[in-house]
Amino acid sequence: MSFQATPVKISDLADNTGEWLRGTGPESDIVISSRIRLARNVARFPFLSRANVKQKKELEEVVRDKIREAEITSDLRYINLAEINPVDRLFLVERHLISREHAGGEGERGVAFGRSETISLMVNEEDHLRIQVIRSGFELREAWKTIDEVDNKLEKKLNYAYSSRFGYLTACPTNVGTGMRASVMLHLPALGMTHHIEKVFNAVMKLGLVVRGLYGEGTQVSGDLYQISNQFTLGKSEKEIIEIIESVIPRITSYERMARKALISENKEQLEDRVWRSYGMLKVARMISSEEIMHLLSQVRMGVNLGIINDIEMKTLNELFIFTLPGHLQKLEGRELTSLQRNIIRAAYVRKRLEKAESLKG
Amino acid sequence: MPESAWGDKIMKCESCNKKHATVHLTEIVGAVKKERHLCEECAQSINTQLTKIPSPTEILTSLINQVAPEISEMSKIVCPVCGLSYLEFRSHGRLGCPMDYTIFRKGLIPLLEKMHGSTQHVGKVPSRAGREIIRKNELMQLRNELNKAVEKEDYEKAAELRDRIYELSGDTSEDQ
Ligand SMILES: [Zn+2]
Ligand SMILES: [Zn+2]
Repeated sequence: MSFQATPVKISDLADNTGEWLRGTGPESDIVISSRIRLARNVARFPFLSRANVKQKKELEEVVRDKIREAEITSDLRYINLAEINPVDRLFLVERHLISREHAGGEGERGVAFGRSETISLMVNEEDHLRIQVIRSGFELREAWKTIDEVDNKLEKKLNYAYSSRFGYLTACPTNVGTGMRASVMLHLPALGMTHHIEKVFNAVMKLGLVVRGLYGEGTQVSGDLYQISNQFTLGKSEKEIIEIIESVIPRITSYERMARKALISENKEQLEDRVWRSYGMLKVARMISSEEIMHLLSQVRMGVNLGIINDIEMKTLNELFIFTLPGHLQKLEGRELTSLQRNIIRAAYVRKRLEKAESLKG
Repeated sequence: MPESAWGDKIMKCESCNKKHATVHLTEIVGAVKKERHLCEECAQSINTQLTKIPSPTEILTSLINQVAPEISEMSKIVCPVCGLSYLEFRSHGRLGCPMDYTIFRKGLIPLLEKMHGSTQHVGKVPSRAGREIIRKNELMQLRNELNKAVEKEDYEKAAELRDRIYELSGDTSEDQ
């Protein structure tokens, strides 16, 4: 068993998307994706902050080899992050295949992932190994099933740092125990518009969950996209943590649906106007900033969900959220771009995608 | 720009009040959402300030300073495996090796209690860690569920859980 023989070119990935962007699965009008990651470390090695260059190299080799031997999926490929340029790493971050910390890290580190981009395994991130599974829609349980199996295969090959008292031992004590972070990405434009979103935050925080922006810790919210994840990793089982999130998500999605209904019944014309203006802007603008596009796409996405706009597929919209990000535009264009150039190319790219989508739908 | 039909103005940048606001930022600080509407230029210049939301590491180190006791006997402790001192851990929030959980145990326990509301793992157990741990954890989880069932006055479920606990513990006199 080996990794895919041909070296992966990041530009090849730019033609496809991960399966989690399909826009399918339960509640996928509001729940974009469900993600679980597990933090694991190899026993008898220091955590990365205390590992020297030689130990880091050894860890990278050992973990990479064990991932390969574990026969996780037949199409796993591996990229050494130290060998690719910053734009390529940014691309992988935007794709949710690696974290920002992993991209910006130092020394020997890498990532393995399958063709569908559902499973990714980060080597030498904050912990020696971070396993991640992302699925489209509200499918935490399925994601857990997959990641649990991957973890079982790996624990046969790797001697994890573990104690019966503290569970899986991690570099940061905020992850110790299950080492699990389960999160769900939600699109909540109507709750934002009607200023009810704070109520959601409050309710969610009382359950020991946290709300974050699109790219995780410390990031701003844009495009009305929110990530809800567990804060505690110790003292609750994986199943219990997932159940807590599972119990709260349907309440948030129905709250969002109620807010949308209220907007339609009270401000139908205004809502339609807002959606169509955003759609119009996407189709005619010659320059669009990365923040503006998130805002416009969010409005249009809601418009499609409410049946106001019928000629774009959800998959296309979900993809546009990712493909118009700086790393993706630079990969599509094949060169580094200034922010001004990106704004021009972003607008042109969106116009082209929307024209194609419309002609396909007839 | 005219007033939009939505009722809010097609927005001017709230910083320079001249250009059209094309950048709409949302920050979450605790449970409060704050919106900002800016033009591209002002957004660029303000971006550096925005990212100053305390990072998880900053939050963590402040928590450590509040909670992890500055025990004088601990301040001299250095991990013999990785060389990390308890004081270094207190200032950076990152541990140096798996052994630190044992070496700094005294300082970590109150911190974990504050952080997670618990200091005992009840989740997955690697298969090599043996059946004994699995059994213990299952027991602990069943007890948790039993407590919950009792709280909810679901006595049928409670009885069922009690039987499973007896079965697993092999000791019918055990009560919890
Ligand atoms: Zn301005
Ligand atoms: Zn140590």
